[in-house]
Amino acid sequence: MNWKDTLEFARGPFFQVALIVFVGGMAYRLMRVLLLGWSRDRVPSKGSKLGGVVIAYLKGIIIWPFVPWVKNTFSKKPVMYLAGGLFHLGLFVIIFFGTPHMLVWKSLLGLGWSTLPTPIVDWLAAVTLVALATLLINRLVDPVLKLITGPAEVLNWLFVFLPMLTGYTMTHHLLNPYEMIFSLHVLAVDILLIWIPFSRISHFIFYFFSKTIHGAQFGKRAVTP
Amino acid sequence: MKTQHALNTFVEETGGWVASQLEACTRCGICAEACHFYEATGNPEFAPVWKVELLRRTYEQRFTAGGKLKLALGIDRRITDDDITHWSKIVYEACTMCNKCAMVCPMGIQLGPIIHGVRTAMSNAGAVPEDLMAAVNKQVQEGSPLGATQAVWEQRIEWIADEWEVELPKDQKGAETLVVFTSIEIMKFPDNIAAIARILHKAGEKWTISSKGREVVNFGFYEGSTERTVLFMKRLFDAAQELGVKRIMVTECGHAYDALRWTAANMMDVPAGLEIVHIAGMLGEYVRSGRIKLKRGAFDDGVITFHDACKIQRRGSHIKEPREVLNILAPNSFKEMSPNKEQSICCGGGGGVIAIKEADPIRYAVFGLKMKQLQDIGATTVTMTCSNCRLQFTDSVQHFGLDVKVRGLSQMVAEALE
Repeated sequence: MNWKDTLEFARGPFFQVALIVFVGGMAYRLMRVLLLGWSRDRVPSKGSKLGGVVIAYLKGIIIWPFVPWVKNTFSKKPVMYLAGGLFHLGLFVIIFFGTPHMLVWKSLLGLGWSTLPTPIVDWLAAVTLVALATLLINRLVDPVLKLITGPAEVLNWLFVFLPMLTGYTMTHHLLNPYEMIFSLHVLAVDILLIWIPFSRISHFIFYFFSKTIHGAQFGKRAVTP
Repeated sequence: MKTQHALNTFVEETGGWVASQLEACTRCGICAEACHFYEATGNPEFAPVWKVELLRRTYEQRFTAGGKLKLALGIDRRITDDDITHWSKIVYEACTMCNKCAMVCPMGIQLGPIIHGVRTAMSNAGAVPEDLMAAVNKQVQEGSPLGATQAVWEQRIEWIADEWEVELPKDQKGAETLVVFTSIEIMKFPDNIAAIARILHKAGEKWTISSKGREVVNFGFYEGSTERTVLFMKRLFDAAQELGVKRIMVTECGHAYDALRWTAANMMDVPAGLEIVHIAGMLGEYVRSGRIKLKRGAFDDGVITFHDACKIQRRGSHIKEPREVLNILAPNSFKEMSPNKEQSICCGGGGGVIAIKEADPIRYAVFGLKMKQLQDIGATTVTMTCSNCRLQFTDSVQHFGLDVKVRGLSQMVAEALE
């Protein structure tokens, strides 16, 4: 099997399987949590739960990760906050506003959108790689993170890092032949997709649960979330 | 055996509310930076994420395919009696359930209430620290964890009425507000009771105390025992119904307010139409509506600051009112600590921690953070609306030999009444 065939396999059947595992796995996890039962909150509200939820999201998405002085705790771990924030921003921009990725979305969803100029995406990719490396080092030396880090946490990091690394290598033609590095990139993405339902990377779904609960709890009390 | 009780509790309490939040955790460890116990001691086991570790493991092993697989492969192991004993210390001695961690969690996970759930499991497993359990049992038997038995209570109330020359209406039918004091006030801060009585009279409140519902403190809530939390709250609700009052007013007590106002309805039947209010909120309302008038600048001297109690301010909602009052009492001297309001650092004595002798060293270590906050602004007086905080402040200020006056806000308001 040469690299060309590998690429066809990685983009074709293997990608299909990975997508099915990803979508099916996430749907299963979502249903499992939803079906556990939700008791009604009978406590009379003082403020607006909905208002609290809106503020929680605004703060969580727009302000919190990028405006350092909002949270006092930022001053204690600036590197971790910056690295965490930039890594998420970078990943989001690359996945949705990198031209090649948008084309993948287009082939899957049937609709496309305008993307960002390659130099911007490229620069963010470099930042994301550095941020990821920083986060790993931090995870290995911080006493709390050492305590809560097991094999799963290291794999989470690795399976996100590999697509980033191969993608960057590919766009900069650092390794040849092109089919090889392209294959490795797509394989890494396939593995990531398969891994997500088994891991805590799935937090991109459950974030909306905990953040809504947070907003509602504070909104109920008329306290800023 | 006892471990099984804990595990059963974990399984029972894991509904979607808990599970979705456990699933949302990315194990980023940021919550540690918010925890005053971790900050003060540097012990990584005090990180909030670690405090819910047993609950998470039970959830995964019982409900998730991944967890079952890990167990089968030997990557994860079953929870043992030793684990329960080990975590009992962590969740009771190094957590006030102040929920500051929820404020910094990027996912917004409500760690405070979830750790409360871990305590419930500990309580069902019989793994509650001895000192705390002794106090709970005392409240079951005598009606108060601090020795305010019926006889002692009657005696103290009579003495306070005499000593401070205030009227303390008792068991009066037709009253609108049932005021329930804490035994901390009864036994240690009687001046607070006199102060609140003066304020209520001045405000024209139709109020009463009750000899049946005489203790607002709820050590069952500290313990995490649903059964005893409900038992202690029921005493108050029964008293309120018997007297036919419209509302229960919680005095300077934090967790009791959290239990009665923000938890009771989800645990038991609360008498219909019964309102739960806190003195901290009422002070603001009396001032706003002009029911009481305060001498402007009555305490304008030195630097006076306000300590936000976790259960009354961040988790109770009364953030604005004390500040409105202080801006009248000390418009020039009132100065905020940093961080404050919903971001404030907890005193370190709440959640029953102060009742556990063994926790004294960490409790004092945590107060070190508060002390630094006080010193940073050169505070000469610190005021608050929680007797439990006040107990921690009074004790720790003495322990560290700090030259700071510790006062209840009601007390200051009473002294400034016009």
